[in-house]
Amino acid sequence: MATVRFEGAGKRFGGVDALVDLHLDIEDGELAVLVGPSGSGKTTALRLLAGLESITSGHVWIGDKQVDALPPRDRDIAMVFQDYALYPQMTVYKNLAFGLRMRKVAPGDIDGQVLTAAKTLGLEDLLERRPRELSGGQRQRVALGRALVRQPQVFLMDEPLSNLDAKLRTQTRVEIARIQREFGITTVYVTHDQIEAMTLGRRVAVMRDGRLQQFDSPKGLYDRPANLFVASFIGSPAMNITEGSLEHAGDGLAIAFGDHRLAVGRPESRPDDGIGAYAGRKVLLGIRPEAMADASLALGTPEDRRMTVRVELREDVGSDVYAYFEGGPPVSNPGLAESPTGDDDEAGGNRRRTFVARLSPQSKAREGDAIQIAINDRALFFFDPDTGVRIG
Amino acid sequence: MVRSTASAPATVRTTWSAARARTRADAAPGERRSAAYLYILPALAFYGLFVLAPFGHSIALSFFDYDGISPGSWIGLANYKELLADSQTRGAFVHALVLVVFYAALPVAIGLLLAASLSRTRVRGLAWFRTVLFLPQIIPLVVVAVIWRYIYAPGEGPLNEALRATGLSGLARPWLGDFSWALPAVGIVGTWVQYGLCMVLFIAGVQKIPTSLYDAARVDGAGALNEFLAVTLPNLRNEIAVALTLTIIASLRNFDLIYLTTQGGPGNATSVPAFEVYNQAFEVGRVGFASAIGVTLALIIFAITIGVNRIAEARS
Repeated sequence: MATVRFEGAGKRFGGVDALVDLHLDIEDGELAVLVGPSGSGKTTALRLLAGLESITSGHVWIGDKQVDALPPRDRDIAMVFQDYALYPQMTVYKNLAFGLRMRKVAPGDIDGQVLTAAKTLGLEDLLERRPRELSGGQRQRVALGRALVRQPQVFLMDEPLSNLDAKLRTQTRVEIARIQREFGITTVYVTHDQIEAMTLGRRVAVMRDGRLQQFDSPKGLYDRPANLFVASFIGSPAMNITEGSLEHAGDGLAIAFGDHRLAVGRPESRPDDGIGAYAGRKVLLGIRPEAMADASLALGTPEDRRMTVRVELREDVGSDVYAYFEGGPPVSNPGLAESPTGDDDEAGGNRRRTFVARLSPQSKAREGDAIQIAINDRALFFFDPDTGVRIG
Repeated sequence: MVRSTASAPATVRTTWSAARARTRADAAPGERRSAAYLYILPALAFYGLFVLAPFGHSIALSFFDYDGISPGSWIGLANYKELLADSQTRGAFVHALVLVVFYAALPVAIGLLLAASLSRTRVRGLAWFRTVLFLPQIIPLVVVAVIWRYIYAPGEGPLNEALRATGLSGLARPWLGDFSWALPAVGIVGTWVQYGLCMVLFIAGVQKIPTSLYDAARVDGAGALNEFLAVTLPNLRNEIAVALTLTIIASLRNFDLIYLTTQGGPGNATSVPAFEVYNQAFEVGRVGFASAIGVTLALIIFAITIGVNRIAEARS
């Protein structure tokens, strides 16, 4: 077990910066997740840590050892790959034993360690099978077992659930969390799936274009996103984002966007804000779908915290109702946000006009209805229109 | 389909319509299976006419004492008995087995070495290297033979010149005329021709191996050798089987290179079965005996090829 530390780590491929000046401190026994869209540098960071890529600048530490120049086998790490990377010609037993054999562990000890790992993962009955005789979920467990059997200092996981179907993914996610907690092995987990990141990570590093955006607890990312990208990446459905202008309204502020105008509240009720300085200026506004409610079910919401909208589409998923309606104008600088599904800019830009609200299943809102949406002003996020940095 | 043809009633017309009705009702969809034979008939006819028939004719000839002109006489297995007893013919088969080392084993080994080293490093201009190293396969064997006859030439040949220039003049010799060196010398030409094929096959195979397997092996602590044994070699199994099949066949039925470089000489030092077939049939005039050698060679090639592929399949 060990801490992991990226100290200004960078990687250039040809003329392209895949990772830029990454600073990250991962605690001993922590499960940290690197999340981001493809090309965000998360996998590059993991491969630098594994020693599968050489570092271009900065340093990587495992425990108190600087490992920049060490080959993978000397870093005391184990890795789980997206495609499992099991040796096809070897039985499950031999796959599990391979790393121990390479490390010249005594044959008697190998047997014991393999059987222990197999038991932890319920692989006892599969030991004589070959990978192609296993289901996807079983292969994934073997891949986990191969990492576990060596009791390494650090687990590295590169999108280990991507090749599983949805149900198995949830099961395996729970399994990974259980094993990680049970053995307390420091784990760095890479995924592009924000749900996976939020459910698994004690802390989550959101990456984009080779740069770390924010490293925080899931709640921290959700409640206090550092910028528009993190705000739009975390949360499902994604945060509604639009352009608006901050105006003085009495002794407080109001935000006007599209046909709507919402009270932001007194500055003193938002003590950590810097939005006062933006009064009278254009800002970017973010509203989480779950911060909206059907006003007919949220009695007592003041008039200036409601907006009247016409429902364009209603999706009833049982536990919730998703209502789509026209919100504000799209963000004119679409590069600041990114939808986690990776929509291209045009589709994303068009979709941003449409807001989605997650309403209670009791909501009677129907397509074509004009309804009132109540909004909790604490759930309004404001971002600088040029940099995307959150200002309130 | 089977039932409709088997239960043929009296009149043709009712059979036909009944068969059609039944085919629609309970046979597998699509056309009748027997129609497939019709489609392969043209190819099969050519194959039969130009491959199967001559092969059958050769087998038949091998039981005759026949000089190619006057009527032959049936002598049973006498040709095969002579083949086993005659030291010159036996020697030809032994030479063929020696050439397997040069034509098949060495090229496969060299090809694996090249592919393995390429699997660990990204080489710039890989396509260029591949083309150059594959070139010997493209050059007509006649040209290859001329090139190497020049290289091996006694006296002023480049190989001997090079040996003398490096102070190894004691090793200089008339390579293709030397009783103990002629066969290896011809073999080296085979290695030169074949390794490009093996290498191209293996490089293509290596590129199909997921890179994550190499990553996993490196993380597991495998060095270059273990990485080769655990990842490259097992994943190239099919390519190795193909390479061995092609090169072994090429070595056993080798004729042109021998004919063009040594004519089987000196003495019979480089004689091989295919060359003996030619020699016996057209120089000595013993067509029956030549056929027996040819049939024996074909059987050996069959056996080895089947063996190689059995081993490859058993491991997979």
